[in-house]
Amino acid sequence: METLRSTAIWIPLLPLIGSLLVGAIGLRWLKDRSHWLVIGGVALALVAVLSVVSTVVGEAGRAHNVDAVAANEGIELAHTSEHDSKLSESFTIYKWMNMGAGSWLDVSFRVDQLTSVMLLVVVPIGFLIVCYSVGYMRDHHGHPERGYERFFAFLGLFLFSMTVLVLAGNFLVLFVGWELVGLSSFLLIGFYYQKPEAAKAARKAFIVNRVGDFGFALGIWLIYLTFGTLDYQTVFDSVSLAMRFDGDNYAAIVPQLQGLLGTERVPDVTAASALVLQVQDRITWIALLLFCGAMGKSAQLPLHVWLPDAMEGPTPVSALIHAATMVTAGVYLVARCSVIFAASPVAMWFVGSIGAATALFAATIALTQYDMKRILAYSTLSQLGYMFLALGVGAFDSAVFHLYTHAFFKACLFLGAGSVMHAMDGVIDVTKFGGLKKDLPITYRTFLISSLALAGVPLLSAFWSKDEIIHAALAGNMPLLGWIGLLTALLTAFYTFRMVAMAFWGPKMLPAGVEHAHESGRWMTVPLMILAVGAVFAGYVGVHFKSGGFLGFLEPHGTFHHFLEPVFAGAKVVLAAAPIAHEGHALMYWSSAIAFLGITNAWYFYTKRPTIPGAIALASGPIYPLFKNKYYVDEIYDAIFVQPLRKLGRFFFGSDRYGINSLLFVIGNLPRVLGFGLRTGQQGAMQGYALGMILGLVALLWFVLQG
Amino acid sequence: MEMAAPQVLMIVGALLFGIGVIGFLTRRNMIVMFLSTEIMFQGVLTNLVGMGLLRGDLNGQALGIFVLVIAAVEAGLGLAIVVMLYRRRGTLDADGWRTMRG
Repeated sequence: METLRSTAIWIPLLPLIGSLLVGAIGLRWLKDRSHWLVIGGVALALVAVLSVVSTVVGEAGRAHNVDAVAANEGIELAHTSEHDSKLSESFTIYKWMNMGAGSWLDVSFRVDQLTSVMLLVVVPIGFLIVCYSVGYMRDHHGHPERGYERFFAFLGLFLFSMTVLVLAGNFLVLFVGWELVGLSSFLLIGFYYQKPEAAKAARKAFIVNRVGDFGFALGIWLIYLTFGTLDYQTVFDSVSLAMRFDGDNYAAIVPQLQGLLGTERVPDVTAASALVLQVQDRITWIALLLFCGAMGKSAQLPLHVWLPDAMEGPTPVSALIHAATMVTAGVYLVARCSVIFAASPVAMWFVGSIGAATALFAATIALTQYDMKRILAYSTLSQLGYMFLALGVGAFDSAVFHLYTHAFFKACLFLGAGSVMHAMDGVIDVTKFGGLKKDLPITYRTFLISSLALAGVPLLSAFWSKDEIIHAALAGNMPLLGWIGLLTALLTAFYTFRMVAMAFWGPKMLPAGVEHAHESGRWMTVPLMILAVGAVFAGYVGVHFKSGGFLGFLEPHGTFHHFLEPVFAGAKVVLAAAPIAHEGHALMYWSSAIAFLGITNAWYFYTKRPTIPGAIALASGPIYPLFKNKYYVDEIYDAIFVQPLRKLGRFFFGSDRYGINSLLFVIGNLPRVLGFGLRTGQQGAMQGYALGMILGLVALLWFVLQG
Repeated sequence: MEMAAPQVLMIVGALLFGIGVIGFLTRRNMIVMFLSTEIMFQGVLTNLVGMGLLRGDLNGQALGIFVLVIAAVEAGLGLAIVVMLYRRRGTLDADGWRTMRG
């Protein structure tokens, strides 16, 4: 445990040190070598991650063995939680705030299975993208762009923030990480701050996230108010305890209840149950408020508007922050607080519905966009919707599994789009170029593989994770969500290959001013290839191999889920859900068919008969413009929030300028006017003053002699 | 008309003070203004001695002589200041220092 602790601290620290050093000396001394410090920091952090994860895997394996032995010998499993708790323990790094009554808010980390998975997503992909940026942030002659060192300093800052977020051992540290990633995201979206759109997009992202984070902060406050602590494990234990309370097991629970309720004296049954009911009531509010934060960060309806605009940032940033890692923080939050969410059916229903709605909504918009990065952004929204859908139906492990597979292929797609953009001199509109298959062979191949994965083609990574989600939704008590998931899968396959067809297939076409497209350098292509390999094989850690017929030998429920089991055990108990039967073979055929249907349609529409899409768009009446204009959400927000706020701002500006300013003008000028009158007495001649003194003396004498 | 010494002294003191005030108010020459203040000063001292006599208290005269010594020192200091002011402006006219007009 001690080694785990000392290693874990270095995971965020190393990128931070690299970032600070680059920030301090990059501009003056390192210049175009700035990336080495950040690459070095992240590479060392990667080593630390691997060491930590191997420890966790070892611990988990031992715990499972104990479980198995206990099960064989028929021993009650009550004590196995001790073995799990070894991992779920958080360790304090620094005692931060004394909250009185002997309680402290600490800077504490927690390393368990979920943290390991997140670290394995964030740090390796972060490392690849930092390497990719070395190639991307230069022009064709290899000269670095303006702000090169700033870019790497921000990337290091982001990796620091994100690792703090996933390593946090209590809600306060989580919140700190949460806000820090928000800051890094703001800085990186606005990286080209000379561009008004980029500066605007950065502000938009920051402000929209504030809306969500406000709810998140309230949720954390409510947790503290209810449980008197912010430590994950204590809060989760208290929640499961409160959910298990039924009056009958009062005697067994009451010693622990006292801690939960913070009461000094032993309450009687009625008082205790009243208090527990109150706590149960609060849990729903806590879950909904925490989910507010998740909606902001993970760009779910109705707070999704910032993510497509965030594509104004450099492409590696879009890949790292706005596709693979930061936007999944919301999914991580809900998965981490699975017990809290599981305890509230209302919150679960809400999470699932928002997820499904976002999945479908974003997929329909993606059908009509022409900017490659925006198509991918809407696709990210849609895939995040899938993850929340899974969380909402209680398939927490499937959500995290999809998070993990999605990170690889979506990062690869974004980096591929960046490579195309690099070759096209910054043009990213798919109507301006086409048929790049021959010119950009490596980009094309890796992009195609990741697109196949995203479309859900069998045996590639998203096939496993997406199927699992749809299966869990169909088997759960909200089958409608499963049908929405299937429909979205069809749309996903279609819009993905619409993009592939328009960019890479068909006759060759280059944007004006670009003579010939050339493949990107090694710094960019190697990360692409590694990520493409991940897009193919990442799913297999979640697959259980067994003997059987075609496809029957594969079960989408493998090592990955087994590994994560202890994390979600508490939630499963609260949900009291029977484990979902992973017998989804029929679904596998269906979803494969859907993927192929989408892909072939896209191929036919956009390479064979390019007139069809236009005809459909015309025939669809108002639907196509609705999709094309993103359901007018931006316009609606503009009318409902932005314009009234602007009017209010103008009103206050006016009242400040004419009301308060005039008042202050009067007050400020009063002494001046007085002084204007009095200073005429100041003549500078000594005799004048002496005369004044003597006249005063005379007046005084006269006054005294009178009285 | 026979008058008692204290009354004479106090009248002389009042006259000296009055002459000093008028001199100070009417003259612009800094040395003359300084002399006027000295005359006012002597007037006050004479008054003091007169008061002492009136009360039959010798401390008045003792204090008068003591203050006279202090006044000699003060006069040296005052004249030095006047010399400095003259060196600055090259004139003894007090109007040369009328710079603090409101």
